[in-house]
Amino acid sequence: MSTDRDTAPSLLARLGLANWRQNIIYIGFVVIFIVFAITLFDKGFLNPNNLLNIVRQTAMIAVMAIAMTYVLSAGEIDLSVGAVAGLASVTTAMAIDAGGPVTGIVAGLATGAVVGTFNGLLTTRIGIPSFLTTLAMMGIATGTAMWMSDTAAVPIISKSYSWIFGGGNIGPAPVLLIWMLVLGAVGHVVLRRTSFGRRVLATGGGEVAARYSGIDTKSIKFRVLIISAMAAALAGMLYAGRLQSGRFQLGQGDELSVIAAAVLGGTSLFGGSGTVIGTIVGALMIGLINNGLILMGLEFSQQLIARGAIIILAVALSQGRK
Amino acid sequence: MIDGTPVHAVEMKGVSKSFGGVKALVDVDLQVEKGEIHALLGGNGAGKSTILKVLNGVHAPDSGTILVDGKPLSEISPEASRRAGIAMIFQEMSLIPTLTVAQNVFLTREAKDAFGLIDDRAAERRARDLFAMLEVEVDPKAIVGDLGAGQRQLTEIVKAISQNAKVLVLDEPSTALAVSDVERLFVFLRKLRSDGVAIIYVSHRMDEIARIADRATILRDGRHVITAPLSDLPVETMIEHIVGKRSRGLSDVARGGSRIGKPLLEFDNVSGVTKPKNASFVVRGGEVVGLAGLLGSGRSAIARVIAGIEPIVEGEMRIAGKPVAITRPSDAIEAGIALVPEDRLRQGVIAEHSVASNIALASLDRLSRNGFMSNSKMREQSDSQIGRLRIKTASRDAAVRTLSGGNQQKVVIGKWLATEPDILVLDEPTSGIDIGSKSEIIMLVRELAKSGKAIIMISSELSEMLTACDRILVIADGRVMDDIDRGELDDLSAPEDDPVARLQAAERKLQIVIQKALSKSEGGTHVH
Repeated sequence: MSTDRDTAPSLLARLGLANWRQNIIYIGFVVIFIVFAITLFDKGFLNPNNLLNIVRQTAMIAVMAIAMTYVLSAGEIDLSVGAVAGLASVTTAMAIDAGGPVTGIVAGLATGAVVGTFNGLLTTRIGIPSFLTTLAMMGIATGTAMWMSDTAAVPIISKSYSWIFGGGNIGPAPVLLIWMLVLGAVGHVVLRRTSFGRRVLATGGGEVAARYSGIDTKSIKFRVLIISAMAAALAGMLYAGRLQSGRFQLGQGDELSVIAAAVLGGTSLFGGSGTVIGTIVGALMIGLINNGLILMGLEFSQQLIARGAIIILAVALSQGRK
Repeated sequence: MIDGTPVHAVEMKGVSKSFGGVKALVDVDLQVEKGEIHALLGGNGAGKSTILKVLNGVHAPDSGTILVDGKPLSEISPEASRRAGIAMIFQEMSLIPTLTVAQNVFLTREAKDAFGLIDDRAAERRARDLFAMLEVEVDPKAIVGDLGAGQRQLTEIVKAISQNAKVLVLDEPSTALAVSDVERLFVFLRKLRSDGVAIIYVSHRMDEIARIADRATILRDGRHVITAPLSDLPVETMIEHIVGKRSRGLSDVARGGSRIGKPLLEFDNVSGVTKPKNASFVVRGGEVVGLAGLLGSGRSAIARVIAGIEPIVEGEMRIAGKPVAITRPSDAIEAGIALVPEDRLRQGVIAEHSVASNIALASLDRLSRNGFMSNSKMREQSDSQIGRLRIKTASRDAAVRTLSGGNQQKVVIGKWLATEPDILVLDEPTSGIDIGSKSEIIMLVRELAKSGKAIIMISSELSEMLTACDRILVIADGRVMDDIDRGELDDLSAPEDDPVARLQAAERKLQIVIQKALSKSEGGTHVH
């Protein structure tokens, strides 16, 4: 960091970007936004509807990524989030069908709590690495969702549920934007300003030192895995509300975008440092790239390649030289 | 041998090495013969590990010559040293725990079959032959991770020998070993000696050296003191040479001045999982008690048991007279106990995090209300510790990684003082830090005792322990072997007006007590 200051003190420092590598996500977001705004101007990129669509498409990723920031900061990982979202969308839809919206909400959250408890117990009590626990849970969750729903979509008829969880708008603002902002604000404050957040960062930053300092690192890991599964379940409920149905495919493959969003945002894969605001911007950036590439008229195959290349570039720049 | 001049296995002449102004080695000679076990002795910072690293090619000397088997080393690098036949057996071993013994011995030189594929059977056969030749009993098919420390070490040495090592360097080989394993190691070393291998043996255990070594070289403050056959070096003489007349070091600070109060911490027949064993002692308020003993004696295990990191299996621990059940570190913190642990970087600090968050780590609950951290309280806390301990840091937000070792240690101490403990345990608080910070920390320890805290201090540097402590418990094999008042170690014949000489006299006495405790504890375990 000090070397950056030594070699390029003038312009970057005056712009307050002396440690630009840490802020690469924000710079990258602005740069990509400007590039798309200019090149895709006539394709309607700046159209408010298009911009709000980006938010609608990324809100679920962002919700899961906020929780993933905690998991990664504590030195663990959760690969089951996408599958849990799909499972929760199915349990929620079925419970709404059987007992109404409130039953549905309880069922969805309970799904997250159960999965999170399993992930947490297996990781902290038996000592299976969370990579394996959650990898296995991914299959179990998807399988359960397929079995329960007979692989068919479960429709949701409740209008109020759909409005609150994903479909509604308040004035011009989609309800999904509000979910994202509220959870983001809570996530940010808890990680930065509460003793729980401190304990999470300490657990991932140096587990032994944290334990010697009286922190129950196992309980911290248990709790972040529950938070992650609950967030995944909520994301699944949002998917279900937005699409007015529960399906096991919802959220499939999201875990990679979620982890990418957190890492792009500056959260370390190895624990000890994380930022919720960065994570949200990271999620929005992935949505931005997807949207721009579609507007450019690229084929899906080309989109995949371009998206991968941009993510690698951004992460590589943020790493710097050691 | 051709013209009658014997060729030395190792001949280091006039080796000097400085690290940024600090002279680690000054004009040191070391000569080791073939077929000899040569002990290398000296206190902490005497230059033992530096000269071994020079020999091993890790450090380039500033001046001096190194001949191995009569030939100068082609260059200074670990590879060149290895090619010349020098093998260093580290305390932390270089074997891969998931592979078998045979696979480890022949790692990177695997036996191949006719198709060029690895032939583990052949490797096992060759390993078995090798072990038979060297009279070592280790199963070549065993997975290294399943072996005990003794067998792992033998495997490591066999691996080195199979790579044509002519000079074997063993750095404190016995610390991790059981008594029976040490015997086996010695038999093996004697066998290697008769095969003409030169062995450099580093140890702090004088009784061991007296049994195994032929000659010894003693270093002190980076200088060569003496090289002599063991028959000329009784234990008292060795200790005298090791302690010597130190040019630098701590002068005695004034002890006393603090009022010794009620017992704050009591161990009643406490045993841990392996160590301590049936330990009983009392530490009172206002008192600094040292735990003296060699590496692996169980000093740190006692510290970990007090701090709730390792469980008490048997016996009772009392705080201020009341029995306490401490099962987790947080219990200990609540009971007013703080541990400054021995491994600063792993157990003490989170290096990537800021000074302020490290200091806050053990008192998060004090700094928050309803779970929310108070930034102003946190700033106040870190600023007061930074001021009190004179921590040199760019700011309270600088990462601890950017601080010097001494200042990192002060951060750890600050973290624990912030919990306002009654009982403070310091495990090697001065290891790896500069002399200035060392005396600051010793002064601080005295100051804290004066304020009524009970303090337990562990240090490998006896002069430090003698300076800081009111009382010293001698630990060997997990047992408390002796409980000595600091005053008893003062040598009345030492000149009254020369504090350095008095300290050295006391250090010699303490050394002898530790060595005696060691043989006594081994005598006890030999029986069964």
